[in-house]
Parts: sequence; C-alpha cells; structure tokens
Amino acid sequence: MTLSLTFYDTVISGSAWMAIAVVAIFLLLVLRRYIAERRIAANKKIDAAITRSYLRRVAGHRPEGDEKGWTFRRRLAAVSQVQALLRGGERDRLMQIAELDGLLSATVRRSHSWRRSERVSAIRMLQRFGSESCIARLREMLARDRSQRVKVEAAFALAAAHALPPPRETMRILRMTARAPSKLDVALLRASAPDYPDQLALLLEDDLSPVWRAQVIDSLGWSGNVSVIALLEKAACHDHAEVRSAAMRASAKLGHPGGRDFVRSALHDPDATVRTQAVNACSALGLKEAVDDIRNLLEDPELWVRLRAEQALETLGFASGQAALNAYGSSSRSYA
Amino acid sequence: MTWAAFQDAAANGIIAVAVFCFIVVFLRNMIGLAQLLIANWVFVTRIEPSEGARELWQRYADLAMPITVIAPAYNEELSIVESVKALLALEYPEHEVIVVNDGSKDDTLGQLLRAFELEKCDRRQIAELQQTKIRGAYTSRRFPNLLVIDKENGRKADAANAGLGFARTPLVCVIDADSIIEPDGLLRAAEPFMHDDGRLVAVGGAIRVVNGCTIKGGSLQEIGVAKGLVPRFQVVEYLRAFLTARVANAHTNTLMLISGAFGLFRRSTLVEIGGYRHDTVGEDLELVVRLHRHLREQKRDYRFAFVPDIVCWTEAPSALKGLDNQRARWQQGSLETLQRHRRMIFNPRYGRVGMLAMPHIVLEDVLGPPAELFGYIVIPAAALLGLLDPMMAVAFFFVSVVFGSALSVGTLILEEQQLRRTPSARDLLRIGWAALIENFGYRQINLWYRLQGVLRFLRKDSTWAAVPRAGFNAG
Repeated sequence: MTLSLTFYDTVISGSAWMAIAVVAIFLLLVLRRYIAERRIAANKKIDAAITRSYLRRVAGHRPEGDEKGWTFRRRLAAVSQVQALLRGGERDRLMQIAELDGLLSATVRRSHSWRRSERVSAIRMLQRFGSESCIARLREMLARDRSQRVKVEAAFALAAAHALPPPRETMRILRMTARAPSKLDVALLRASAPDYPDQLALLLEDDLSPVWRAQVIDSLGWSGNVSVIALLEKAACHDHAEVRSAAMRASAKLGHPGGRDFVRSALHDPDATVRTQAVNACSALGLKEAVDDIRNLLEDPELWVRLRAEQALETLGFASGQAALNAYGSSSRSYA
Repeated sequence: MTWAAFQDAAANGIIAVAVFCFIVVFLRNMIGLAQLLIANWVFVTRIEPSEGARELWQRYADLAMPITVIAPAYNEELSIVESVKALLALEYPEHEVIVVNDGSKDDTLGQLLRAFELEKCDRRQIAELQQTKIRGAYTSRRFPNLLVIDKENGRKADAANAGLGFARTPLVCVIDADSIIEPDGLLRAAEPFMHDDGRLVAVGGAIRVVNGCTIKGGSLQEIGVAKGLVPRFQVVEYLRAFLTARVANAHTNTLMLISGAFGLFRRSTLVEIGGYRHDTVGEDLELVVRLHRHLREQKRDYRFAFVPDIVCWTEAPSALKGLDNQRARWQQGSLETLQRHRRMIFNPRYGRVGMLAMPHIVLEDVLGPPAELFGYIVIPAAALLGLLDPMMAVAFFFVSVVFGSALSVGTLILEEQQLRRTPSARDLLRIGWAALIENFGYRQINLWYRLQGVLRFLRKDSTWAAVPRAGFNAG
C-alpha cells in the first residue's frame, strides 16, 4: 500500500511539476516574443543605422550614429546583408572594415564552438569574408573538424571561394570512396574540375570502384578542358555500364565535337542506361548524323530509351507529330 | 457460483481493467515524452541547409532530382485553377505537375481546360496502377510542365496511382489538390536527397493547419490563427504529430506515416509495390507500412526522412461535424493497416519497425483510445466503490490530462524556439490556451470519434464521407 501510494504520489507530483515548468517556460517565451514585437521599430532603426554606417565607411566617409546597442550579432547581420549588394573593390573594403571591427575574430571563435550548428553558421560567415585567413580556417575545419557534416560544409564554402584542395585530398579527407557517392560529393568533384582537370585524370589511374570512377569521369565533363576527350573515349569502352554512362554525360556537358564518334557508337550499347545517356548526348551535341540510329531506338525494348529517343528527335528537329506529342511535357534529362 | 464469489470476480475484473487502462495511458504519455525529448535533440543539433550547398545545387541543377507533383482532384472547381497555378510556380529546378481529375461531378475539368488552354494528347502511361478507366490526358502549350489526366471516379488512392503511372521523373510528390505548398517546399523536401547515398526512399514534411491564414492565388499570403477553438485544437495536434512524433520517429528510422497531404517518394519504389492500395481508407499509413515491409523482406538497406520545416498547409475541419468523420476514418484506416500487416507486429524479421514501431501503433490506435475512455469511467467508479485506492483515480487524471497538457505545451515551446512560425505573441498565447484546454473535453470527444472508427472497422464499412470544408480565408 505504501509502495503504491508512493508511486501514485510520484505520478501526480511529477505530472504537476512538469506541467508547471513547461507552462512557465512557455509564458517566458510568449513574454520574449511580446518584448521583441514591441522593439521591432527600434530594432529596425538600429539595423538601418548600422547598415548606413558601414556603407558610409566603405565609401570613405566618417562613421555615423550612436553605437549603443550595436552588438556583434547585429553588425554581422548588417555586414552579411550589405556584402550581398556590393561587388569588387567595395565588397573587399567592407570585409576589411568588418575585420577591423573584430567581426572576423568573433566568427573564428564561433567556428570553434562545441555546437555543430554554430560551427556551420561560422563557416557561412567565413565564406562571406573570403579573406586568406578565412580560407585558411576553412581548410583547417575541412581537414580537422570532428564532424563529417561540418567538413562537408567547409568543403562547399571552399568550393564557392574556388579554394578547394586538389580532388585527391578532398576525397581522402571526406572519406568519399568508403561510401556510395551522394549528390553533394558529385557537386564537389564537379566544382574542382575546372581547377584540377589533370589531377582528376590522375585519379583515374587509381584502383577506384566503378561507381567512383564514373563520378570522376562525370566531373571531367565540367572541366571545360577539351584534352579530356581522349579519357572520355577510353571510358566509353569501359567494362562497367555506369562508367560508360558517365562518359556520355561528360561528353554532353563538354559539348565538343571530338566526342561524336564514341557517342554514336554508344547508341548500340547493350546496356539501356548507356543508350539513354548516348541519346541525350547526341541531343546535346546536335548530332544530326545520328538521327537514323536514334530513330531505330524508337523500337528499343526499354521504355526509357524510347522516350529519350523521341525527345532527342524533337530537339534535333526530326520529331513526328506523334512522337512529339508523346514526349511532350517530359524532361529532357535522363532519369534512368 | 455464489453471489459473493461473483462479486469477487467482478471486483477483480474491474480492478484488472482499471490497472490495464492506467498502464496503457501511462505508457502512451511516457512515449510522448520520449518523442518530445528526441525531437528537441534533433532540432538543437540540426543544421539548416547551407547557402554554399544551395549555390552549388543551383550551379549543378541537373543534380536536383526532377519531381512530379501529383494532385488528385475531386469536385474542386472553385479552387483548382488557383491551386494548380501555385503548384506550377513552386521553386524547383525541374518539376512537372500532374492533376488527376478523379471523375469530378462539377466543372473541375472544364475550369482546367479553359484556364490552361489544354489540348488532348496521347501521352502514354508507363505503369497502369489504377483500377478505373482513363478518359483522357491533356497538356498545355502555355505550361509545358502541366499534364491533366481525366479518369473515372475511384477515390484518392486510385487517382494518385493513375498520376504515378504517368510520372516519368525519379521522384514523385503526392499531395491533396487543396494542399498549399510553401513556395520552396519542394526544395526543402528534396534536401535529404542531396546527402543521400541511394538508400533514401521517401521524405515527409511538416504540415500545418491553414485555417485562419490568408490565401491568395493558391498561395499562403499571411499566417494567422483561426478564431474557432476546433481548428486551434487541431493546430496543437498537428504540431504534436509533426514536430515531435514524426521527427522522433524519423530520427530512429521508425517513421510509419507520411501524410497524404504531402509526401515525396522514389517513383520506382512506389511502382515496384504497386502504388497505393484501393481497399483501405488509410492509404497513406498503409503505403508506408507496406514500403517498410517490402524493403525489409527484400533485405534492402533503406531509410525514410522527415523535414521538420513546414512544407505544406492544409485545411482542417472547422467544426466537430466533419472532424468526427475524419477521425473515425483515420482510426479505421490504421486498424485496417494493422490487420493487413499483423505479422509484422513483434516480428524481429522486421527489425525496429516490427519490434517498436508496429507495437507502438497497436498501443496508440488499438489499445489507447478505449483504454483511456474506459479509464475515465472505470477508475473513478472503482475508487468510489472502494475497490481501488482513490489516489489512483487522481493519478490517472494527472497522467492523462495534466501530463497530456504539458506535452502539448512542450511542443509549442519547441515550435517557438526552433521554427517561430506563429505570427505574434497574442496568437502564441491563443494556441497555448488551446493546448491547455484541449484535454478537457476535446480530447475525450476525439476518443469517442475514434471508437466510432473501431466500430466502422468491425462492420467493414467502406463508405468514404468527404470532410466538409469551410474554404480558405474562412477564418
């Protein structure tokens, strides 16, 4: 009896205390919101003053305004807003002024926070500052942060600043090859392609899995470097269909006529995915000489190949009314 | 049996029922508390989509998997044009909208034909998953990413299946025609696919009640809170369901429900399992349970994700009339799903889905409603008869009502701290008030409606009554 009374007492008091605590916190939040609403006009005024002051300083004028209430967070928000509006020298000057105001050091401190979300916010700000010291800190975070997600965010910030390390290093640090590639991995590889086409080509000499080899081939298409055509041609004969498909995608993206022969050959590939990509590549390269082969694919046993063939013929200006209608409304990209 | 022996047996029976009711209600609320704590952890540690990633996402738009938005429509002539315009205007690199006119008796099709200058086409259906006849397909020269399918009436599941059969993109987003999708809702819902290594099958998103908001041109113009108490109670319920339960379930990979109002799926997997079932009134729950079952039986490594940001707004019944049907239908749907997939319950072959998620549905939907409702009667009665300690009756009241209120208000705290989509302090207070008083009457009425659903399930009642809508901007 004593035991049960104790249990029921615990349930009652536990429920009651929890309800009281939760309601109290809720009321505090309502109060905080109420105060924030009351201060909206005043806060807007302060934000406008900070923004105006920075714009004046960028233009070389004296700062203005009473700096009371100009917290780091507000200043950072203002700088972040203004820098999106400025370009070139003005933007550089703004970021220098922000550094002089100690905003960069505050951001760097945030980048050491124990909270992952705080570190990611700092990464975004460091990316905006974009100075050498920011890039250095971003590289450090990419290499040494304990969170994989933060490392990926740092990599994206570096990519946006065209400061990604060579692809082999990026892949090693992010342990890319130990897992299946995500869309973000693909985007990172593509981002490094214009700066490191030779390094990407060297990667192909490694013992990569077909899935990752395909991603490297795909990214070569984004290099804008026509010397990679030979590599794509070799990849178009690879044993693995995924690699051959990637070669088609890369050729389509590169848009160089040097790829027309192996792209046309791929229209007869035994794998439907490769045929689909080859059709897309023909369409992207404007290969009118491939029209007969593409027409033959209208009878392909694979539905997706037939659909893409219809679309390609339409793009190349050879679609029959029937085919055009059938393909109408669907995408021009491969979903296979 | 002597009278005394009968009295003893009856007393023991009453005590057993009372203790059982207490345990069930206690367990439900403890699970609710655990979900609230997990959701809090998820929100505190989550990383919002970065601008850097989005910049690259825009640069390599072809990496954004194209999406087909499937909107089944039945008798929607008043709002369909505005809704479709809003769907066509969604921010996403590439999306197609398929509107399926499910044999509407009004002028839904006519409105679409005129507004979008539709022309008949012979677009082929890739997979025939519907059970009714397709009457025609229409495209628009002005809006090349719009396809309208006209078919015989067959209910939402059949219409969604018809649309699914016409979809050609790797992802499909199934919505209700009157759902208001946030302008960047598709982008946010597709975000988990950016990080995906091929295992992700479906993504759900948080849904909020649109009653009280201002809608213009099929888009949300201003967030508001309904004046009526019934929609406000539902605001609290939706917050509890989407910000705590679904977030926690997705975190533990036991997400069992992706709402019919908004769900993003891999098309190939949906086609593989034959799309939605036609013979249940809870097709959205059944679909996700069947996906789990299929993928587990195939021993495939898979995952479901949930985006806690609001991606969609939906109209809730504005009065008890309408709510009764909806809740009874939800209850019936979940019992039908449990019956169909009963072999998954406590079956280790289905991993944590079988051992945790399915038993949780049993606790919530089979045992929960009757246990709580009977508990309100049996426990005080037993205490009055001297069969039980009166403190148990007080504890039952506290654990069901007071603790329940605390969980609801706790969810509001989470919302205010993390999302802050309630327009003002005044509105926050109004929702908070609803969270407190919903446990005094509304909760019990809901339990009653759910018992009606149990009866419908037992009667194998397959009628489907539409939930009456007051219309957007009705307040």
